[in-house]
Amino acid sequence: MTKPKKRINEFLYFALKNKRLRVGLSVVLFFLILALVGPLLTDYKWDDYVGPAYHPPSYEYWFGTTTFGQDVFTQFILGLKASFLVGIIGGGIGTLIGVLVGFTAGYHGGMIDEFLNMLTNIVIVIPTLAILLIISVYLKVRGVLIESIFIGFTAWPWAARAIRAQTFSLRSRDFVDLARISGIRPLKIMFTEIAPNMMSYLLMTFILQFGGAILIAATLDFIGLGPTNAISLGLMMNLAVLWGALPLGMWWWFIPPGAAIAAIVGALYLTNVGLDEVFNPKLRKL
Amino acid sequence: MKQYFTRKLFIYILTFFIAVTIDWLIPRFMPGNPVQVLLARASLHAEAAKEMYSYYTKAFGLDLPLWKQYLNFWIAIFHGDLGTSILLFPQPVIKIIMRAVPYDIFLLLPSILLSWFAGNKFGAFAARTKWLDNTILPVGYILTATPYMWLAILLGWVLAMVFPIFPLAYASSPAMIHSFSWIFIADYLWHWFLPFASLFMVMFGGWAIGMRNMIIYELEADYSHYLEALGAPRKLVRRYAFRNAILPQVTGLALQLGIIMAGALVTEVVFSYPGIGYLILGAIQNQDFFLIQGCFLFIIIEVLIANFLIDVLYIIIDPRIRIGMGGKSA
Amino acid sequence: MFKKIILLVLLIVFLFSGMVFAQVYERSETFYTSGTQWGPPSSWNPYNTGGYAMGTFGLCYESLFLYDPLTNEYIPWLANSGEWISPKVYELKIRKGVRWNDGTMFTAKDVKFTFDIAKTAAIGLSPIWNFLGSVDKVDDYTVQLKFDDPLYQELGWYIYNNPIIPEHIWASKSTEEVTSGIGENPVGTGAYMFEASDQSKMVWKKNPNWWANSALGLDPKPKYIIDLVNSSNNVALGQVIMGQYDLNNNFLPGIASIVEGGYGISTYFPDPPYMIAGNTAWLLLNLTKKPMDDVAFRQAVAHAIDVDQIVNIVYGKIVSKADPSGLLPIWDQYIDKALVQQLGFSYNPEKAKAILAGAGYKDVDSDGFVEAPDGSKIALSVVVPFGWSDWMESIKVVSRGCQAVGINLAPEYPDYPQYLDSKLNATFDMMICNDQQMSSTPWTYYDWMFQNPIADIATMQNGNYGRYDNEEAFALADELDKVKVGDIEGMKAVISKLEKIELTDLPLIPLWYNGMWSQTSNAVWTNWPSSAEDSNHYLAATWRGYWNMTGILMLCDLEPAK
Repeated sequence: MTKPKKRINEFLYFALKNKRLRVGLSVVLFFLILALVGPLLTDYKWDDYVGPAYHPPSYEYWFGTTTFGQDVFTQFILGLKASFLVGIIGGGIGTLIGVLVGFTAGYHGGMIDEFLNMLTNIVIVIPTLAILLIISVYLKVRGVLIESIFIGFTAWPWAARAIRAQTFSLRSRDFVDLARISGIRPLKIMFTEIAPNMMSYLLMTFILQFGGAILIAATLDFIGLGPTNAISLGLMMNLAVLWGALPLGMWWWFIPPGAAIAAIVGALYLTNVGLDEVFNPKLRKL
Repeated sequence: MKQYFTRKLFIYILTFFIAVTIDWLIPRFMPGNPVQVLLARASLHAEAAKEMYSYYTKAFGLDLPLWKQYLNFWIAIFHGDLGTSILLFPQPVIKIIMRAVPYDIFLLLPSILLSWFAGNKFGAFAARTKWLDNTILPVGYILTATPYMWLAILLGWVLAMVFPIFPLAYASSPAMIHSFSWIFIADYLWHWFLPFASLFMVMFGGWAIGMRNMIIYELEADYSHYLEALGAPRKLVRRYAFRNAILPQVTGLALQLGIIMAGALVTEVVFSYPGIGYLILGAIQNQDFFLIQGCFLFIIIEVLIANFLIDVLYIIIDPRIRIGMGGKSA
Repeated sequence: MFKKIILLVLLIVFLFSGMVFAQVYERSETFYTSGTQWGPPSSWNPYNTGGYAMGTFGLCYESLFLYDPLTNEYIPWLANSGEWISPKVYELKIRKGVRWNDGTMFTAKDVKFTFDIAKTAAIGLSPIWNFLGSVDKVDDYTVQLKFDDPLYQELGWYIYNNPIIPEHIWASKSTEEVTSGIGENPVGTGAYMFEASDQSKMVWKKNPNWWANSALGLDPKPKYIIDLVNSSNNVALGQVIMGQYDLNNNFLPGIASIVEGGYGISTYFPDPPYMIAGNTAWLLLNLTKKPMDDVAFRQAVAHAIDVDQIVNIVYGKIVSKADPSGLLPIWDQYIDKALVQQLGFSYNPEKAKAILAGAGYKDVDSDGFVEAPDGSKIALSVVVPFGWSDWMESIKVVSRGCQAVGINLAPEYPDYPQYLDSKLNATFDMMICNDQQMSSTPWTYYDWMFQNPIADIATMQNGNYGRYDNEEAFALADELDKVKVGDIEGMKAVISKLEKIELTDLPLIPLWYNGMWSQTSNAVWTNWPSSAEDSNHYLAATWRGYWNMTGILMLCDLEPAK
């Protein structure tokens, strides 16, 4: 077993060398910084009437204005922030639950596995829209936080399945059997033998959940089940469509939010592939 | 084999039961009164509304105790009676859904299956050479990362407004009524293309990337190296790799069927394509209990059947499972 | 082998399908509409008032009279005339030579039946039996309505707003079928008959034997009327721009720029407000809650809202500011200008602040918002249904205006059923509502505003959701009902008193007039109504209840574009 510090160094070396990882990560970081720093670049609130209506991008209004003269750039920046929030919280929760469920199922097998499997299936089969509908009705005001939690609690099956499969394959490896024979308690085995090998997998699962959460949020926002007190990229698209942005020529209101989502999530997936190559030397050939 | 199937079947039935119960519970947890909504839309004169209120409440069985409503629900399902819609009063829900289902099938099946086939093929290509990998993959990433509705609306704008090649909405021309004729089929396909394309493109990306990753894994597995060392032609190795790689893709297909509803719903709304997704949105916005229930019931059944079929497919494709069922597993 | 079989099957399918004739509707003889139908056509029962397929009442079923709101005239339709032959007896002379579209003659029997059935089945006409004693058929073409208590204005509303149904078809229907049947294969006297329907459209076909062809010289040119199910704003806007609708009645953003943009799209007025005012958008206040029950507070709110912003920015000038009395422009003659001048509100934030201060509202805790005179905090919300984009934006303006004078009002967007629920059960603080459309008499407005008894409001669903309790107002509304139709001075006298109550007490605040949204394309059909001297002045609307407010006359005046 290589010493942990050397392993980390080795990992970092290959990580920085990997082109895909570099490109993906830089795109994500760019948007992240934009989301964090952006609000300082604008004095407006997203729904204030600040300028002439229907104005194309100009020096004063970088992304133009909406039907009512609201600043699209402001909406974009604040929307980015909301999307990142959803990604991190929603993705985080989804990963957490998925790992717990998948890992337990994969490690113990048998009845527990069957039961958890059925649970996973049910959550997949239940149309999440229906549940969100009820929730949305009871909560007078919906925020980004609620949305993230909801997404996390409904998107975990993907992660659970993947983690379970991975756990299965790891469980039957020699070094685990060795640890078992030597009498170490199962919980300790989980944390000391299996978990470190799964670290890479966990990271990649989180990245996928992150991207997935952003996409799901965009869809929910678009059909009107999103936050009621904030702006998000999906909500921007919703408003743009409601107010006929494209037929009226206001492409600057509709195109940037969707393009940003595609860019961020795409970059996340790219990063994922890069990470995969870094963690699995076998893949580095291509 | 028999044991495997009976166990699977049992689990499916159990899942169905639970899912349907939740489906029934859902609208009932929503505050507000669907009869009220119905009457409001009717904008009847005062006195008439008062009378109709009790009439409708009885008609919809909303004055019975909950457990009785639940029982009636199951009985009704087996009779094929899913209640009367409120949004599209007084049409029966089953009729409304039945009219929408063909549109959904024609839209979803081709887009899911074709994108799956094409995506896997392209993904396998990409794993061949570095050049292909660097061109196909970015396209795949971006496509799969694109929100469905954004792509749908863009396609609509570019290909139906800026360059009026395709129609902007609906499943068939306003100037035609259904008939099983050349002209109608051609017109239908012409309307079908944009919704199909927007779904296809996004899903295609996902499969392509997935397949590419799986193939690369397989190509680096021991057995691949072993075959190469033996001098087997590259094509043979790739074929074996493909067969192994396809397995998780089949599982993925099953999962995809579940979530495609959300994407299809948005696409249908954008193109006013009268499938179930379009109905659901209207039902949700108008708190149409029975229509919501009915639509979701259909989706649940659809997903379960599809999953079951894929399980069967899995057995056919993967000999290890067949063998594993014959003897004891390790 | 397998492949060959599939190919063969496909070939046979194609050959066979080619032989089936496809019905394609010629563009030049088809009239495309949209803006009424929000889901697939599901009912052709004219008593399904909010849900019958576009045109069921108006194109297929008809009424005794048409009403022209712009000229305040009744046009004899299925009835030749209607007269009060004595203070309590109204005699209708029925038109001769009218046939139902299945060939049967239309006679007084059908009219009597239509009134009688409202006694047994709860339909829109049923309340007339509260003051109607009996309906007698004098002869085949004369019907007498004998009233216990003649309510003239209300009758004046029923005679153009009710479909006449064929006795020979509906007599055998059960009560349930009458009120909630689907009503397939509708048999009416109207200009159009049912042709086909599917998930996205409703097709009406011209009735070759329409009575008005010979009797009134009216002949609608379109052979087919096809109404398309509403789609998203985006799509509707795109289709209007591309000229795929001849008449569209959706609210479409940016219409002002489309009209100017040279797409051949026109509206009734060539300039703002472009649209005829169809109804008033009121700000309802819940008078059962504090501080809405304080008239000073209400006055302050009225002075705090910058309606011009709503008109100009939110709607892009396709609506206009409401008169403080709330009455529509078509009722301009009834508005007591002197009274409005004296008591009416306007946008005046300084005055709003002064009113609040004078009534004891002070900002005790310096949070920028006033507290009630008794010290309690004020935190209110104004609601509109989620998804009604123009209203959603409008209440932002309302809340900003209120906040600027110190009233803590926040906009909220519950789903429609919740909005409806809070409206009916008086759980809202404030909301926007525009229930009442233009009609033959302001009485419909005041009946709605002063609906009573308060206890029944939730189930009657016909107004006064703010629970305004004023016996004088209730009595005046009833008194107005008893003024004869056509007695302008008599109506003005009563209405003036009603206006005074409304302006002083402000139980609800009129904000703007929502338009009768109507965009027309000149690509295939021309001679649309407009405000110009040489055009007709009918209503170009397919909305339920508008065909018989001269929509049908608009249709008959259309000419094919050259």
